[in-house]
Amino acid sequence: MFTDAPNFDIRNYLRMEMMPHFLCPGCGHGMALRALLWALHELDIDKDKLAVVSGIGCAGRLSAYIDANTFHTTHGRPLAYATGLALARPDLHVVVISGDGDCLAIGGNHLIHACRRNLKLTCLMLNNEIYGMTGGQVSPTTSETRLTTTTPLGNTEPNFDACALATAAGAGFVGREVTRHVPKLKELIKAGLQHPGFAFVEVLSDCTEVYGRKNDMGSSAEMVMRQKSEMRPSVYRDSVDTPFRSTDLPTGILTRNDRPEYGASLRRAAALASKGAH
Amino acid sequence: MNESSIADLSGSEPVAFNAALAEPFNVLIVGVGGQGVIMVSKVLATLAQAHGFEVKQSEVHGMAKRGGTVFSHVRYGARVWSPTIAKGEADVLIALEWAEGLRWLPYLKRETGVFICDTKRIVPPFACLNRRPGATLRYSGETAEQVAAYVAEGYAIDATRMAEELGNERAANVVLLGALSTALEFPLPEWERVITQFVPKKSVAVNMAAFGLGRSWIAEARTAAPAAEAPVRPAPVHTPYAPRLEITAEWCKSCDICVKLCPERCLRLNAERVVELFAPEKCTGCRLCEWLCPDFAIRVHLDAEAVPEGITP
Ligand SMILES: Cc1ncc(C[n+]2csc(CCOP(=O)(O)OP(=O)(O)O)c2C)c(N)n1
Ligand code: SF4
Ligand code: SF4
Ligand code: SF4
Ligand SMILES: [Mg+2]
Repeated sequence: MFTDAPNFDIRNYLRMEMMPHFLCPGCGHGMALRALLWALHELDIDKDKLAVVSGIGCAGRLSAYIDANTFHTTHGRPLAYATGLALARPDLHVVVISGDGDCLAIGGNHLIHACRRNLKLTCLMLNNEIYGMTGGQVSPTTSETRLTTTTPLGNTEPNFDACALATAAGAGFVGREVTRHVPKLKELIKAGLQHPGFAFVEVLSDCTEVYGRKNDMGSSAEMVMRQKSEMRPSVYRDSVDTPFRSTDLPTGILTRNDRPEYGASLRRAAALASKGAH
Repeated sequence: MNESSIADLSGSEPVAFNAALAEPFNVLIVGVGGQGVIMVSKVLATLAQAHGFEVKQSEVHGMAKRGGTVFSHVRYGARVWSPTIAKGEADVLIALEWAEGLRWLPYLKRETGVFICDTKRIVPPFACLNRRPGATLRYSGETAEQVAAYVAEGYAIDATRMAEELGNERAANVVLLGALSTALEFPLPEWERVITQFVPKKSVAVNMAAFGLGRSWIAEARTAAPAAEAPVRPAPVHTPYAPRLEITAEWCKSCDICVKLCPERCLRLNAERVVELFAPEKCTGCRLCEWLCPDFAIRVHLDAEAVPEGITP
């Protein structure tokens, strides 16, 4: 463990003039950003060959801090922008950073179709179970019984298993990790970046200031520690007065297959068509 | 825990003394990953099975990769039901590493158990604090004499050094097999035949020599002074670096994550509620604070450092 990081100085990958970032104290998205930049560093990906596309939200804001080609797009649509970019520039590493609201609520349709096409790009969904930026409304991943500004009596809707959704929709690579395990998360993102098709990585992150505060989840440190202790069998989650986040979900690489990559298929079809025309 | 079945030894006839073992004979073999615990256990199990005994072997070796504890239970007799040895029920405890031997002592039969232990000491790779320059080693401090007082029959044997002198440190487990062979009733040629099966072809000769050494060492120890060789207490393992924390105070948002998650508890928030390393001598350079700080306010440097005298790098 001592030797795997010595040359990684995150500051070489940050827009220093934008720092410190705007995230609240203890926000898990900071650890997720570290894991991504560390993965890019270890794969020796040239900043000029990297395009980070993000949506709107605290998660979406992260692209602003990365010293590379970045696009801070519209809410729910980063995958649509990224699709165009990846098709036009197959030489780039395209990375999407999205939130649970961004990716599964307003952007849910873009996600399932991106998975279905299996275009080569890497999509990180930072799941903090809440609309953090807009003050804490319920999201499609909010655990049942949790308090949010739009569920003052506790959430009664069942939540999405984003990885199961991505797998069912056809993503070639699907994985999940908690922010507490930064080195493991880095390895997962690396595997995703190296996958030849669509890679979906769900990062279980913490919204300390809004979600944590509203639900009495303790200090930032306690929330980070809980990421592990709450990984319990679902049988413990049945009682209504004990709201658990869905971290009894499996982590690691959950799906990896070699379905045809969309960009290559499209270019092949285009080449055939242009041959036929002459 | 997995129970493995042992391949049959074709052509060997069960010998007479099996019927006598109405109660199973229990041998517990322990060590750390990479030492060859499982090989010892396979040799014994194969041997016992070739003699017509029913054999049950079970082992845990999941932690092997990290230098973690590895153990294997071998039970043989006319009839064996449970694959594991209960506390206080082992007839022989054979340990390839000193602290592992001590760890498992309560499994040995108090009145009659035989304890055979390599004096080799391995500091686990994750014992970071032990790796600090000049650190006091928090390795078990029991001497061979103290242990001898606890067991019915005990041997602290420097098997690893003996194997090294034969030119192959990896044969230490076979030195211990030699020692073990003196505590069991299987005939010598059988031992040699089975060991030959389990060692690489080109190292048969050195392993046979190792086996012989282990046997004769015990024979001498039995006749000579009863006190076993005292294990040599190793110097702390020194990793030649000094951790240094570079803190970007303006970025710290006082979230307290690093303070609460630092394994050595050597960080705190100062009067301005900015992180500071208040006990630098405790910091092991594990980098957890760097990894978990959501604000990138900590960078851990592992500076190269001169090795203090008397410490093996
Ligand atoms: C079209 C549109 N609708 C609504 C919004 C308001 N809005 C901004 S961020 C956000 C939700 C962000 O939640 P999430 O994606 O989970 O990101 P987080 O802040 O939790 O990281 C919403 C609804 C918007 N900016 N644009
Ligand atoms: S509101 Fe929540 S998600 Fe947004 S920065 Fe604050 S803690 Fe992070
Ligand atoms: S590197 Fe950081 S977390 Fe590790 S011991 Fe030192 S101060 Fe604590
Ligand atoms: S984790 Fe970072 S921001 Fe939080 S207290 Fe420690 S140094 Fe400060
Ligand atoms: Mg969110």
